[in-house]
Amino acid sequence: MGIMNKLFGWLKGKKKEANVLCVGLDNSGKTTIINYLKPNDAQQVDIVPTVGFNVEKVTMTNLSFTVFDMSGQGRYRVLWSHYYKETQGVIFVVDSADKLRMAVAKDELDQLLKHQTIMNKRIPILFFANMDVQNSLSAVKCSQLLGLENIKEKPWHICASNAKTGEGLSDGMHWLSDQLQTVK
Amino acid sequence: NNNWLNAYYDPVAGIYTFPSCIALADLNSDGDNKLVIADLGSGLYKMTLKVFQGTSVVQENALLDLPTGIVSVYMDNMEPRTPGIVVASGSCLFVYKNMRPYYKYPLPLLPVNEAEKSLWNAVRNGDVVADALTAALSSLKDEIYASALTSQTLRFLQLESRDEAEAFIESHKNVGLKRETVVTCLATMKKSVAEEDAISCLVAGTEHKEIQIIDSEAFTQLKSYNLPSIPVFINVSGLYDVDFRLFVACRDGKIYALKKDSTEYRVCIELGSQVVGMERIHKHMVVATMDKAVSCYTTKGKKLWSLELPANIVCTGIMDQKAKGFKALMVGLDNNEIRIYKDKNLVDTLTLNDRPQAICYGRYGREDSTLVSVTSSGALNVHILKRTAEYSEQSGNQGQLNPQKTKLNIPKKTQLFVDQTVREREHGTEMFQSFQHDLQLIRLQAAKTYIHGLNSSITPISDDPDIPLKLNATVQGIGPVFQMMVTVENTASSTASDPKLVSDLKMMFKFSDKVYTATPRIFSLPPLVPGIPYRFPIRIECIATDQPAQDTVTAVVFTRSKPKPIVTANISMPVSEGVVVV
Ligand SMILES: Nc1nc2c(ncn2[C@@H]2O[C@H](COP(=O)(O)OP(=O)(O)O)[C@@H](O)[C@H]2O)c(=O)[nH]1
Ligand SMILES: [Mg+2]
Repeated sequence: MGIMNKLFGWLKGKKKEANVLCVGLDNSGKTTIINYLKPNDAQQVDIVPTVGFNVEKVTMTNLSFTVFDMSGQGRYRVLWSHYYKETQGVIFVVDSADKLRMAVAKDELDQLLKHQTIMNKRIPILFFANMDVQNSLSAVKCSQLLGLENIKEKPWHICASNAKTGEGLSDGMHWLSDQLQTVK
Repeated sequence: NNNWLNAYYDPVAGIYTFPSCIALADLNSDGDNKLVIADLGSGLYKMTLKVFQGTSVVQENALLDLPTGIVSVYMDNMEPRTPGIVVASGSCLFVYKNMRPYYKYPLPLLPVNEAEKSLWNAVRNGDVVADALTAALSSLKDEIYASALTSQTLRFLQLESRDEAEAFIESHKNVGLKRETVVTCLATMKKSVAEEDAISCLVAGTEHKEIQIIDSEAFTQLKSYNLPSIPVFINVSGLYDVDFRLFVACRDGKIYALKKDSTEYRVCIELGSQVVGMERIHKHMVVATMDKAVSCYTTKGKKLWSLELPANIVCTGIMDQKAKGFKALMVGLDNNEIRIYKDKNLVDTLTLNDRPQAICYGRYGREDSTLVSVTSSGALNVHILKRTAEYSEQSGNQGQLNPQKTKLNIPKKTQLFVDQTVREREHGTEMFQSFQHDLQLIRLQAAKTYIHGLNSSITPISDDPDIPLKLNATVQGIGPVFQMMVTVENTASSTASDPKLVSDLKMMFKFSDKVYTATPRIFSLPPLVPGIPYRFPIRIECIATDQPAQDTVTAVVFTRSKPKPIVTANISMPVSEGVVVV
């Protein structure tokens, strides 16, 4: 796929591997997004919603994605910090059509940012306001509700996306790969 | 509060409902639970069944009669598993599937009183005229209970003029008499397996002191019980096909237990007050009553503990976190709080902007721990429990207080203090006597004023032991149109067996016709239940044209049987602004 080839091109020269964490509430579209980004031949068609603690790992030439749901109450939370340690970038996916759970997404985001291993790292955070459907919130509204203007010490970017059609994904991934290069 | 996220708040949702009329269910079997609310509208019209998805209403269905309960119930074995919604309204159960009207189940008709039947028959044959019918029916009503008569008779007896009565007879004489009941409460019971999505049957309580168990597949009555009073809350445990137990709280302040293999009831708990909510937590019954108490009983009726709450209890709910095995009682209080009790320990308090009228905890949308509440102003709140929230027995502030160890900071003795002490010691008797003298004078003065007030009934408090009333009023607005909120409260202390209702009262307003008009100027008060303030909005318009207009409005409560007003309140109206001409 076009997007990923470009991204690989940049990272290939560097001979470095990047770990990117893809998180968000369950059903926000993480698996769909990562599947879309996968090279064509590896793309999965059926996506089963991730329930409980279920980690998906997708590894490409020198880029690996770790995907998990930020759901459940407490039980598996301790495991998360393990993944926080080895990440160079975060993709935070919100379901922009789920207005009710925007407060929950914000709460999870705040806790992620407060987490000591993330707090002290200047890693880029990419937000996908996913589910570009009829009455979903705009990217601007999402960033307001999530309080993104308060993120001062990390580079961040938000774009509206539709994981089913791929709209908006390349825009976001370009920003992320630029950031990954400058950070290194 | 840092355990709950405020996910949604709509202060103008305009919902009027009760805890029995709220349900959360996976109506489209897509894991995205919907919120179903039977809205009582104004209490007279615009009653609707509303379905919320996320933050918006996605469907509305008009209801014909006041809803008294809704439940979500699996009625068949079809895949995908889609529950139906059953609404109890009037004498029928209305079933909705995929949010479309699906079936209407009228509860079986009751036998019509023979004397009543023959009276109406006589009317049909032209043997009896309107006046005679009214007389005969009202004496029949006095003889037997009003609830033993048909609604047609009761409506007929309410007609005021003879013309109306004749017209009523003309239009109804060829309609067959039907005696219907009214469903007062509704619950579900799993049929043969306890799975979450297993088929259930319906358990309905009726105004005619009956409990009926109804099959939800075939809509046939499976079993029925008679009780000595009218059921208001039903609690079910067990399976219909295996064994079950029903606990039914009734209007006589008692909780009755019913069993599968007997049609007899057993008095399980006798309460000193009316039930506001009844929940089952593990093996025990937890009952909230109108005397601000929450009490826990075994199913045998033995009281385990009881708590006194700081305010009146308005509604109750259950917080069941199945994943954690945590089950707690939620109570909505008059002071705008929702409190969560694990056993008798207070573990959390959530304060709303208004009095919670109905609360419901469960899965909404994709969030398992959601608390939906509707307040008395009609606002809809959705709170989501934080994923990191932890409730432990110790997190509450109840239980034993630690003994105080801090030393009190006592000031040093000053000369002034010593002088005072000496003076008090020497002249103690005189000081006491002069204080008592003054105190007696004040009391006398107060008593005189009070007596004067009572004698002339100009006080807003009534001394009549049969009609103890309290009246007050507030005026809102800047004029020329004011809204006056009149609050009437029956201050008798009631017991469950003798509710001491005060009825047959009327309220009237007295004022100068040149200055004000009031709508309504005179109206009948509903029967007043002790301890509950009843509020009535009155529209007062200042019609005086010469500025500034200001006068007193007198509110009078009276009853037909007494010549003297029971209570009177003088309300001095604020100065009215002139009409704004745009
Ligand atoms: N309409 C629409 N549906 C989407 C979009 N992204 C994901 N979905 C659907 O949302 C559901 C959940 O997606 P999934 O990737 O499993 O979410 P995850 O739990 O975050 O991994 C699936 O049914 C997807 O097909 C989108 O942008 N638009
Ligand atoms: Mg997934």
